[in-house]
Amino acid sequence: MGTTRMDRRLFLKAAGATAAGAVTASQAGCLRYFKKGRTASDDRREVPTTCELCPNKCSAIAVVEGGLVKKLNPNPENPKSRDMLCARGNAAIKQVYDPDRLKQPMIRVGARGEGKWKPVSWDEAFDFAAKKLAEAKSKYGPESTLWSSTEGFQEVFFKNLGLAFGSPNLVRHPTLCLASVNLAYSATFGTVPSFDLLNSKFVIMSGANRFESIITPDTMDLIGGVMERKAKLVYLDPRFTVTAAKADEWYPIKPGTDLAFILAMIHVIIKENRHSKDFVAAYTTGFDQLAEHVKPYTPEWAEQETEIPAKDIIRIAREFSDAAPRALYYAGRRSSWYQNDFQMRRAQAILNAIIGNWDQPGGMVPNAKLPKGEFLFMPWDEPKAPRVDEIEKHFPLAAKGDGVYLKLRENVLSGKPYPIKAWMVYKQDPLNAMPDQAKTLKMIEGMDFIGVIDVQMSDMAWYADVVFPESAYLERTDPVEVMPGIWPAVVYRQQVVKPIHDTKPNLDIVQGLAKRLGLGDYFDYTIEQWVEAEFRDLPIPMAAEHMKKHGVWAASGQPSYGKTLTPDHRFVTKTGKIELFSERLQEAGHDPLPVYAAPVQPPGDRFRLILGRVGYFTHANQSNNVWLNEFMKENDLWINPKPAERLGIKTGSTLTVTSSVGSVKLKARVTEEIRPDCVFMLHGFGKKSKMQSLVYQVGASDAVILETAWDKVSGNAAFHETFVKVANA
Amino acid sequence: MAIKKKRYALVIDSRKCINCKACAVACKAENEVPVGNFRNWINEDRQGEYPKLRIDFEPEQCHHCEHPSCVRVCPTGASWQRKDGIVLVNDDECIGCRYCMIACPYDARYFHEASGTVHKCTLCSHRIDKGTIPACVETCPSKVRVFGDLEDPASRVHELLATRRYRVKEPQTGNGPQLYYLL
Repeated sequence: MGTTRMDRRLFLKAAGATAAGAVTASQAGCLRYFKKGRTASDDRREVPTTCELCPNKCSAIAVVEGGLVKKLNPNPENPKSRDMLCARGNAAIKQVYDPDRLKQPMIRVGARGEGKWKPVSWDEAFDFAAKKLAEAKSKYGPESTLWSSTEGFQEVFFKNLGLAFGSPNLVRHPTLCLASVNLAYSATFGTVPSFDLLNSKFVIMSGANRFESIITPDTMDLIGGVMERKAKLVYLDPRFTVTAAKADEWYPIKPGTDLAFILAMIHVIIKENRHSKDFVAAYTTGFDQLAEHVKPYTPEWAEQETEIPAKDIIRIAREFSDAAPRALYYAGRRSSWYQNDFQMRRAQAILNAIIGNWDQPGGMVPNAKLPKGEFLFMPWDEPKAPRVDEIEKHFPLAAKGDGVYLKLRENVLSGKPYPIKAWMVYKQDPLNAMPDQAKTLKMIEGMDFIGVIDVQMSDMAWYADVVFPESAYLERTDPVEVMPGIWPAVVYRQQVVKPIHDTKPNLDIVQGLAKRLGLGDYFDYTIEQWVEAEFRDLPIPMAAEHMKKHGVWAASGQPSYGKTLTPDHRFVTKTGKIELFSERLQEAGHDPLPVYAAPVQPPGDRFRLILGRVGYFTHANQSNNVWLNEFMKENDLWINPKPAERLGIKTGSTLTVTSSVGSVKLKARVTEEIRPDCVFMLHGFGKKSKMQSLVYQVGASDAVILETAWDKVSGNAAFHETFVKVANA
Repeated sequence: MAIKKKRYALVIDSRKCINCKACAVACKAENEVPVGNFRNWINEDRQGEYPKLRIDFEPEQCHHCEHPSCVRVCPTGASWQRKDGIVLVNDDECIGCRYCMIACPYDARYFHEASGTVHKCTLCSHRIDKGTIPACVETCPSKVRVFGDLEDPASRVHELLATRRYRVKEPQTGNGPQLYYLL
């Protein structure tokens, strides 16, 4: 043993030294900070904060030792995150200490996308961007600038800068995600409700893969319900997801036919008199038209469309209405699937309405809200030009402040109705978030100037002219966020550690630009003043102290149900009722009741490409987080063994996947867990940015092969309308 | 008051596991586990032919056995067991011979390249000693793992083991594993 010991120790010492040397070269910044931390005094602090790795806003408690974040623990006080922190939330530490992170402002010196950068001072970066934006304004007007961002606590400052600058062209993420589902429920109920999965007895989900695309508290409530046998879950999806594996019944529905299934359910429920007559009479309008409308949509007809047996559709409709009002057709979130997505979600909303699950335990619940104060800043003149995406003409019902992203891209590319010459981007990666990457690259080519604010060098940042590095969420204080819901809460994100690089919070970046654009007066406040104003109207004593100490506040006690179920309640719709039949839709030139159109099927040699998520990646940037990347280093193409055999494809073989707009190479995963007419790939790989080193040119980006299509009513992107050819490379 | 005997164990409801990996990342952060190594993991079992399919997940980590073979084979006494059942490795005494890694029926140990010693799940004993629960138990969205003291009748592990059927893995080894999987 003595020999072993000597050899082992000696060998390890030598090996350790070499390894450390190699690491120092590439990760110098990080290691230096870690070492500094180790030698610093052994002070341990716990700071409550709010996670920013996905849209859930879970409450976390950061453990800080020697000035470094060592651990993030769940904060049980948040009724939405329910005492948990998922893999993404736990891995947020690595966002701060990521060697790939943006560490100082940079200006592009080579060609766009070439990756040649000059580190510059903040002054230089601000001066450069302000000069370019001012040039665009003087040549083409302020409306020639585009301001795109995605949701986040500091997004408000970015949007305000765009508006103060005079541009109407703010564009946000909803039409790449959930615009169709939100609009469908708003059109029906006048609001988008929450779903009380905790108390529901019968849940149906169309492709809402809640056990892999984690949404709080829905995912945890559904696990409790389904696993404790308190609820039955019926799940429709062309893919055998984890949700399918946990469901009581899984139907590999023919893609794009969910609307047929729902219409047939409505047909059965009305035909068998199973709807809630009292509720329908008291709170809805258009039931007779609906009853007439669904007559042809029989279960036998739906069987042909969906490949779900008619007897099952009838049985599910009966079980569903028997369980009412504790029954839910769950809405889902990313509803950017098909060109008729709005109508599919509308049918869900109507089905929910006629069983009377509105504002009931185990049903749909209008969101409770909590008040907060507002910081009063100097107002600016409204932008004068109309929006470049012509939203009012083409999508009169859509949310104007969010814009319609794909229509906007079409218009920017055509230069009509007017040219867009500068593009400011905050916290968004349009190159991976939008389909048809070649088109986005073309849009980039047409810009005189692109500025990107981000924590990491996203693909979009890689193509920018100037990059402003934002401090990571653990390094900054953000505005207070009110989270409506069945269990409403207020969350606060306070600075946990000092920035380790030359980065700034978004507000400071906005102020730096505003000052040079002559707009400084509109942003003449500090984050502390902003937050203090918001604390002022919170319904709790000593609000500021409470939020700093706890990071979250939620009203105690049980949620309240039935507040809207009074004879004098007016829903925020044209008629003041829940609109089964919608005159507003009819006036806007759309079907007032959901009309089914069979989806076009892929020709014999093609497959429908479908997208989805796993529990540890939500956004395109998370695959480059070293702790998450460990679980999946490369994405692959799921293909059923039957077509795989026909095409001579084996697991691990490299494939060429081609659509009408592009072609990618990625490895095959031959799996029983998908329908033979579909293929599936995961989002977030095949990056163009070398500063996403773990996924740079690893696997493939879905954005390269997805075609441009959108839902007619909401303008929401339709990501599941692309047919691809698959062959061994 | 006499010091009560303790025996820590985990009761695992695998059906609730959604393979989200929160436990693995929480452990990584809490215990500074190097990239490439894990102290806990999730086994996957995928079966069937389309469309009759099933996927089963099973979280696993050190079983903190009653009679741990890893402790028996350790030539230096570095692998040891606390009175409360937690199996640990004393880093100063470990010579990195990896006998314990071979002796463990669950493959629950890994060799730590930087220290030249063997590392493993400690059941977050540093947390337990302060009266809190292991990081993997705390962070889990579906609360798959239940941590508790088998000697404490008020502990939830007692209730679960008394009212539900369960199994342990590889009982034939005689190690007496203390990860109880509910059926």
